[in-house]
Amino acid sequence: MDVTIKILRYNPEVSEDATWESYQVTAEPTDRVLDALHKVKWDLDGSLTFRRSCAHGVCGSDAMRINGKNRLACKTLIKDVNPSKPITVEPIKGLPVLKDLVVDMEPFFDAYRSVMPFLVTTGNEPTRERLQSQADRDRFDDTTKCILCAACTTSCPVYWTDGQYFGPQAIVGAHRFIFDSRDEGTDQRLEILNDKEGVWRCRTTFNCTEACPRGIEVTKAIQEVKRALIFRR
Amino acid sequence: MTGPDTGPSSRHPMTGNRMDPGDETEPSYGTGFETHAYDVVVIGAGGAGLRAAIAAHDAGARVAVVCKSLLGKAHTVMAEGGIAAAMGNVYAEDGWQVHFRDTMRGGKMLNNWRMAQLHAQEAPERVMELEEWGALFDRTPDGLISQRDFGGHRFARLAHVGDRTGLEMIRTLQQRTVALGIDVFMECTVTEIFTDRSGPAPTVTGAFGYWRETGRFVVFEAPSVVLATGGIGKSYQVTSNSWEYTGDGHALALRAGASLINMEFVQFHPTGMVWPPSVRGILVTESVRGDGGVLRNSEGERFMFDYIPEYFKAETADTVEEAEGWYADKKNNRRPPELLPRDEVARAINSEIKAGRGSPHGGVFLDIASRRDADFIRRRLPSMYHQFKELADVDITAEPMEVGPTCHYVMGGVEVDADTERSKVVGLYAAGEVAGGMHGSNRLGGNSLSDLLVFGRRAGHNAAYHAYGAAQDRPRIRDEEVRAAADAALAPFRLEEDGGAENPYTVQKDLQDVMQRLVGIIRKADELTESLAEIGRLKERARHLLVEGHRQYNPGWHLALDLANMLLVSECVATAALAREESRGGHTRDDFPGPDPEWGARNLVLTLEGDAVRLEQQPLPVMPDQLKTLFEDA
Repeated sequence: MDVTIKILRYNPEVSEDATWESYQVTAEPTDRVLDALHKVKWDLDGSLTFRRSCAHGVCGSDAMRINGKNRLACKTLIKDVNPSKPITVEPIKGLPVLKDLVVDMEPFFDAYRSVMPFLVTTGNEPTRERLQSQADRDRFDDTTKCILCAACTTSCPVYWTDGQYFGPQAIVGAHRFIFDSRDEGTDQRLEILNDKEGVWRCRTTFNCTEACPRGIEVTKAIQEVKRALIFRR
Repeated sequence: MTGPDTGPSSRHPMTGNRMDPGDETEPSYGTGFETHAYDVVVIGAGGAGLRAAIAAHDAGARVAVVCKSLLGKAHTVMAEGGIAAAMGNVYAEDGWQVHFRDTMRGGKMLNNWRMAQLHAQEAPERVMELEEWGALFDRTPDGLISQRDFGGHRFARLAHVGDRTGLEMIRTLQQRTVALGIDVFMECTVTEIFTDRSGPAPTVTGAFGYWRETGRFVVFEAPSVVLATGGIGKSYQVTSNSWEYTGDGHALALRAGASLINMEFVQFHPTGMVWPPSVRGILVTESVRGDGGVLRNSEGERFMFDYIPEYFKAETADTVEEAEGWYADKKNNRRPPELLPRDEVARAINSEIKAGRGSPHGGVFLDIASRRDADFIRRRLPSMYHQFKELADVDITAEPMEVGPTCHYVMGGVEVDADTERSKVVGLYAAGEVAGGMHGSNRLGGNSLSDLLVFGRRAGHNAAYHAYGAAQDRPRIRDEEVRAAADAALAPFRLEEDGGAENPYTVQKDLQDVMQRLVGIIRKADELTESLAEIGRLKERARHLLVEGHRQYNPGWHLALDLANMLLVSECVATAALAREESRGGHTRDDFPGPDPEWGARNLVLTLEGDAVRLEQQPLPVMPDQLKTLFEDA
């Protein structure tokens, strides 16, 4: 079938303004939006720029706004985004655009790093693995599925307007350790998230949960962190 | 907590973005370069690269990690099955000797025995260290790290978390990197290793690269460089590998004066997706078979029983009854033939398809739906469930998958010293997929993640110690080398002015077609000869690439530079494949169908002389008698 892909192009070397460009490609309904973008790049315009690595939803490189919704281009089938009309593709919102669909990820990684995303323990190093029951391990299973694609953070209306807000991903990243039975850094982490730009900025709009390509219940995780803050002593 | 000692670097440690643009130095090479001095530069940020960086940091070295993608996106992230380590958590009778023996037999005894030994001995410690750093693992009822069954492994030995072990491993190493404050240069590609050639052996002086974002050049001054760049799969049409896999480290090593071994051995994973076409090649984890999945042809026949080789007869079930009994009672039954090493299963699938017993889209059926209940499948194989649901509209709890071989891994790589991971170039180390020797002619599933950890750590550690020894009077990068490297990197733009007309994407596609057709899973002398002629023609075409635009984030230019590596590495694969006149592991010759004991005692070594690839035979390192007895008992 013939499909029209409408891409928001931006090249600061050419112009200050981003412009919509349309491309016609032939695609199977079961092709992914990523395949259509590759066709544009390989056959029509070699300068089209976007990130991708694994191409099946594990590495989290190709989050973009497709028909106005944050998705991974490698997991979005053409037939699911109404190909009878032009399919719009633009960069994720809230991060500076560098070129075409590539955004500066630094503010996102900055938030990721700020919640101490590593296990904090005290005492002697164990000689074997620490014991952890399957139930304790399941407690934070959901938030370990994160692939750092930024789809959640850049779908959050609070993040769009308030660059100091950590954003959903950082809270997901903190949740992964706060609810890990082996971690001893919970107090420090909760203190960071208790900041006025911390979890309390979340307005539970559920955009993040809807945007997560891994099906993580992001809003629920944020609520659990809020509850942990309220009930801690 | 995250504020590292940035040393002379004014780049942000995680992104490499300039924090103080005014601080950039303009060294003697002239303008247009930024320079950074480190003790150890690690190229690649997958499992091996990050583990090497952590080890070098722990040894006190100033370390930079340089990677083509964003941190955390490297190919390791895609590993599904687990980390092979004889921890004995599920089977107490497991031990390094058994793991060593399985690895050597899986590689058809062509492995570097010392690497296989170190790997088997140190893997458990590396897994426990990951746990100590916070990695999530599935657990046994006693709360120990759980271990799962995989092809070629005598005991259940793969430490895992669901079917996303690679993701958890890279995230844990990434977290550790953040906690230690190691400098990471993201989206920065290295195009050259600088060496001093005045001594008896070439000696590393640094590396040259460019920022993908700005196209600006970067010079790293460092006495030690660790290559951890992964594999070469993007030279094939049907592959499970991601775009980064263009053989960069293999090519960098050759050009720096190092040697490659075992390049004829390319692993085709037996189960890649075959439908729809856009996702052809994407991996279907071996865990599907470990957890009860079986392979069937179009006649519904469980065909693997027809393909049990003599070599593995003693340990493989030859009746359906025994194979079925194994899942419940592993001590008293032999393993199902679906769990033979990957090369055996891939060849069997290939034969079934060729004989006309394939599935509608040119694969065979992998069936777990009729054998395990839906809850079990969704719990044990969540990623596979979603992958098929979302990409192929197939519910693997209700219908069989269609699968076929896909280019997955290169056993060959940089020839290194087994204990130190040092190549023939002083100061140049290699670890992970880019290194050769460990896996012989065929890698067992699960042995890759453990390889990354064991040899990543060793490489990083030894690179750091080399840097101390090299401290003050070491040779420096010469100005003309930097100018030459910049010149080479800019060549694709200059050729545009010469009237170049080749689209780099077209040349890449043509190379993939040649490698798939002529240097694929089954090989013949005349086809390999033809492939070398084709590669020669493609090299010529690659001299006339047309790259549009400028240096700022220009994917066409990036590919033009990667393409040179792909062509060189493809030539090495084809050259070695033509020379090895036998079939063994990941190298199957239609014209020499059996293994040959004489070839079994020899490695093929490739080097670069000028622009020409040179091939030599070299005897295999001899295993000590003490280890040989492990094979007699079997």
